[in-house]
Amino acid sequence: MLLVLAACGNGDDVDEVDDVPDETEETDEPVEEEPDEAPDDDADDAAAPDGPTITLRGQDFSEAITLAEVYGQYLQGLGYDVDIMTPAGFRVEAIQDLEAGTLNMIVDYIGGSQAELAPDAEPSGDPDEVMEIITEAYADMGATPLDYTPAIDGDAFVVRGDLEAETISDVADMDLVLGASAQCFERPQCFIGFEDVYGIEFADTQTIEFGPILGESLDAGEVDAVVWNDTAPQIEEFGFKVLEDDLGLFPAQNIAPILDDSLIDAYGQDLVDAINELSAMITTDDLLAWNFETDIEFRESDDVATEWLEANGLL
Amino acid sequence: MTAILAQRAVPRDTTLWEWFSDPMTWGGSDGILANLGDTVLLCAAVTLFAILVAVPPAAFLAHKGWGEVTSAWVVNIGRALPTFAVAAFLVPVSLRAGYGAEPWPIFIALVLLTIPPMYLSTYVAISQVDKAAVNAARAMGFSERAVLTTVELPLASTVIFTGLRVAAVQVVATEPIRAFLGGDGLGRYVRDGIGQNNATLTIGGTILIAALAGTTGLAFSAIERLVKPYGVRRLRSDRSPRTGDTDEQVGPLEDGEPAGSDAAGVGGLRQR
Repeated sequence: MLLVLAACGNGDDVDEVDDVPDETEETDEPVEEEPDEAPDDDADDAAAPDGPTITLRGQDFSEAITLAEVYGQYLQGLGYDVDIMTPAGFRVEAIQDLEAGTLNMIVDYIGGSQAELAPDAEPSGDPDEVMEIITEAYADMGATPLDYTPAIDGDAFVVRGDLEAETISDVADMDLVLGASAQCFERPQCFIGFEDVYGIEFADTQTIEFGPILGESLDAGEVDAVVWNDTAPQIEEFGFKVLEDDLGLFPAQNIAPILDDSLIDAYGQDLVDAINELSAMITTDDLLAWNFETDIEFRESDDVATEWLEANGLL
Repeated sequence: MTAILAQRAVPRDTTLWEWFSDPMTWGGSDGILANLGDTVLLCAAVTLFAILVAVPPAAFLAHKGWGEVTSAWVVNIGRALPTFAVAAFLVPVSLRAGYGAEPWPIFIALVLLTIPPMYLSTYVAISQVDKAAVNAARAMGFSERAVLTTVELPLASTVIFTGLRVAAVQVVATEPIRAFLGGDGLGRYVRDGIGQNNATLTIGGTILIAALAGTTGLAFSAIERLVKPYGVRRLRSDRSPRTGDTDEQVGPLEDGEPAGSDAAGVGGLRQR
């Protein structure tokens, strides 16, 4: 039932509509379904696993929006009651709302979570070390990060292709103008680290909203370097290059879903296993492909998510 | 460099009072005063440019009685334009054309925001001037130009000024979106406050913007009082007669005449 609704919501695509009858038939004869899923579906297909509504919301940039749609639609497909809210805010708002209970699931970059929740902890390139730190921090607010994805969307120090530098250390004396988001300027893993760890003296700085304008500004020569993310498709489009973080300033940025403990208590290990199964399938190439679809081809995030889930047999 | 750092990263536990009372907050190339200057400069440029573009044609068309439908159309289209979207759309265009992220996109967006209310208030003000006064001036042999500049504009000046004041306050209150488009100005405190989850910056910036908008309104009222034409001042006192002001107790019909014929005094700074 939810499947039909989800498909109709996205549905000017003819293929999707064709798929719907097939999938509903499958629920009647649950041969391919996981054994523990099937009885639930038969019992009452409107509210299969019983428990609170899962509310999640993408952070307000395209990759995070697609991620929220992927997790949300996947869980809807399994019969969970999921409310994918309109994307808003960034990490800070997501964590605040998780703490306040407005959201009970968020999807975040683990290094970012560490910078926000444990700013004094040593940044680490090892995702397991980062997970250890943030698991402790999230436990304080009654939430638990689940397994992280193989996909990594690290911070990236991006310059124009013709700049004669290969590592961030190379630009220390180049008097560059740095463009970055407001968040970067207060973070030890970002602007403060560039000055303190790398000893870079920037000629000037410009605050630019995180997103495509970073690339436009860099291309136009407004700034000489921007702090962006690895998976921005514009990096290839504009012929930029990502400088190597030779002093290891940027933390590991795998992606992890973070669940409020009330969800885990209500749904138990089934939910955790289901989410971990999905997380294990998301790769960096997938992120690049999604971002290309949404940012260069200007397609809707929810369509991109649906297609990916279907292509991987998850929906 | 440390100055930049101190400015960029105000600790979250800084109180509003600490922030406002810190000289670092105000001075330097990145402080409140510099940003205030940026904001005032841009707002003044936008307001002046919009006055030049909107007021003369509105006055002329209203005098002729032309283009009432067109005016309404232009104004409504203008009002429907979302300023932020216009500016955000223009930023990449401007960057690709080599004009930079600042200041043209925000300038154009704010001018488009400002023209409709200025145009509308001028048009309405001129077209609602007492026709008896206008016809009396014509009957006395005034040229059409003189009718517009010495009868209609002075009589309409109060309403025109109200429109300009409202538009200018709107510009000041909207200019901070520039901070979200690669610029600075007072909006940067709100932007940084939101981005860094720092309520002190957000609230402090909002107070500054609100204060500047309020000051702008007051400044326009003061200017309005200074340049109000002599005849119009007499009109005002005529509406609320005070005892002892007998020499100003003139009838409305006669009153159009001193306003119109006293051409030299119109627009002057003559004190009552």
